[in-house]
Amino acid sequence: MTTQHIVSAFDRDLVGAQAKVMKMAGLVEEAMAQVAIALETNDLAKADAVRKNDKAIDALDEDIKHECARILATRSPTASDLRTVLTVMSISSNLERCGDYAKNIAKRTTVLTNATPINGVAAALRGMQNAVSSMIKDVLEAYIQRDVARAEDVRDRDNQVDEMYNTLFRSLLTHMMEDSQNITACMHLHFIAKNIERMGDHTTSIAEQVIYLVTGEMPDEDRPKSDLTAFTTPEDLGEA
Amino acid sequence: MDDLRTVSKDVDANNTKISAKNVQVYYGDTHAIKDVNVEIKERTVTAFIGPSGCGKSTFLRSINRMNDTIDICRVEGDIRIDGKDIYDRDVDPVQLRARVGMVFQKPNPFPKSIYDNIAYGPKIHGLAKTKAEMDEIVEKSLRRGAIWNEVKDRLHAPGTGLSGGQQQRLCIARAIATEPDVLLMDEPCSALDPIATSQVEELIDQLRESYTVVIVTHSMQQAARVSQKTAFFHLGNLVEYGNTDDIFTNPKDPRTESYISGRIG
Ligand SMILES: Nc1ncnc2c1ncn2[C@@H]1O[C@H](COP(=O)(O)OP(=O)(O)O)[C@@H](O)[C@H]1O
Ligand SMILES: [Mg+2]
Repeated sequence: MTTQHIVSAFDRDLVGAQAKVMKMAGLVEEAMAQVAIALETNDLAKADAVRKNDKAIDALDEDIKHECARILATRSPTASDLRTVLTVMSISSNLERCGDYAKNIAKRTTVLTNATPINGVAAALRGMQNAVSSMIKDVLEAYIQRDVARAEDVRDRDNQVDEMYNTLFRSLLTHMMEDSQNITACMHLHFIAKNIERMGDHTTSIAEQVIYLVTGEMPDEDRPKSDLTAFTTPEDLGEA
Repeated sequence: MDDLRTVSKDVDANNTKISAKNVQVYYGDTHAIKDVNVEIKERTVTAFIGPSGCGKSTFLRSINRMNDTIDICRVEGDIRIDGKDIYDRDVDPVQLRARVGMVFQKPNPFPKSIYDNIAYGPKIHGLAKTKAEMDEIVEKSLRRGAIWNEVKDRLHAPGTGLSGGQQQRLCIARAIATEPDVLLMDEPCSALDPIATSQVEELIDQLRESYTVVIVTHSMQQAARVSQKTAFFHLGNLVEYGNTDDIFTNPKDPRTESYISGRIG
């Protein structure tokens, strides 16, 4: 619905809340890009900046929730207005979590600088990071354009991230079994990979919110999950 | 807390109580209701919403033949309650209105005692043989109207001495006294303050257990709160009819969306 409300302040409220979400999304994208560089270049100052900047993301999330509560209480939105407010709240939560994951990766960067580097893992992480960053970029575009096809595409791409994570998980297990000196670094690298994989999940959830916003229906839960690591044991690695 | 499953608003399992097919209503040359088709479920609250003059009251009045009392009004099509054509030659409109009670915008108690307000209908329809039976009907109706506790000590005081909200609940109790199975309400809360409105809404929710309720309201929030089904009228057309939850979160017609979300349509 693009026509205006009789009460024009209602339009301003809705536009304002969505603008805040976009601002927050910008900060999250930036945090992800910066933490990737910090990790690759062992840049502790950059990692520290990412940790500090997460406060701004958290503050925006709170601000958005507060604003949505006010809109719900005072304007009783219905139909697509209601969906706009509900999706703003939900997307804000997803972005806030993504910010937390970036912050957690930044913390681990600090530890990793003093650990043995593990062959090939940096490239694998970079691959995951690129995949998730492009998902976030696309899902934000889908949100702005109210583009269901694009949101569905983002949702489908989460599988690829899950598969990259599976592969990396197996390779980290192998490294740990080969040499126990690797365990500390591998554990941290595993958490980093898991954080990126979770960012992919939150991005997928944003894509589902975009679909709900436009169509009024939540997409079916038939998306196949490819994170199988819950069932992976060291014994499995021999067959791989 | 009630078990959430038992207060589920899904009423699709209920039977059709009122069925309207190809209904047209004219006031002289004015075509006020245009080919309306709807099936209203029993023991369900159905809300009629839409801008002023769209025909909500006109359609409501065609369900108990109140339109018969307006000279220039002409109703065409088929309206059935429990499968029986209410415009059939053998239907007595007075008997029909006992079965299909009506509550109006402005509370309109008779200038009589609270007791007599309730007893009036049952007396006409011969529902009580003795004073004791009538006392029972009066008490039962006032209890169902959720006003018994407030008036039980002054049953012989005038009904007009009650507050607006109490008067409206008295009128609902009066409508119930003739043992109807359908209750029609035309903006029953528009003259009431918010507390009295909440009390009437609570009452409407209780009435759903025993009656089929159709309520015209200009408050979208009221429709969303009290009804399980909503019908949106626009310029005499029934534009959209469905589960209230769906109408208010995901309406199918852009005219419905514009209206319920307060847009310049
Ligand atoms: N008694 C009447 N005589 C002539 N026209 C009427 C009468 N009642 C309603 N109308 C006309 O019928 C249309 C629908 O009116 P109504 O049913 O009262 O709408 P609503 O209840 O939705 O506000 C309006 O155009 C109104 O002017
Ligand atoms: Mg009316």
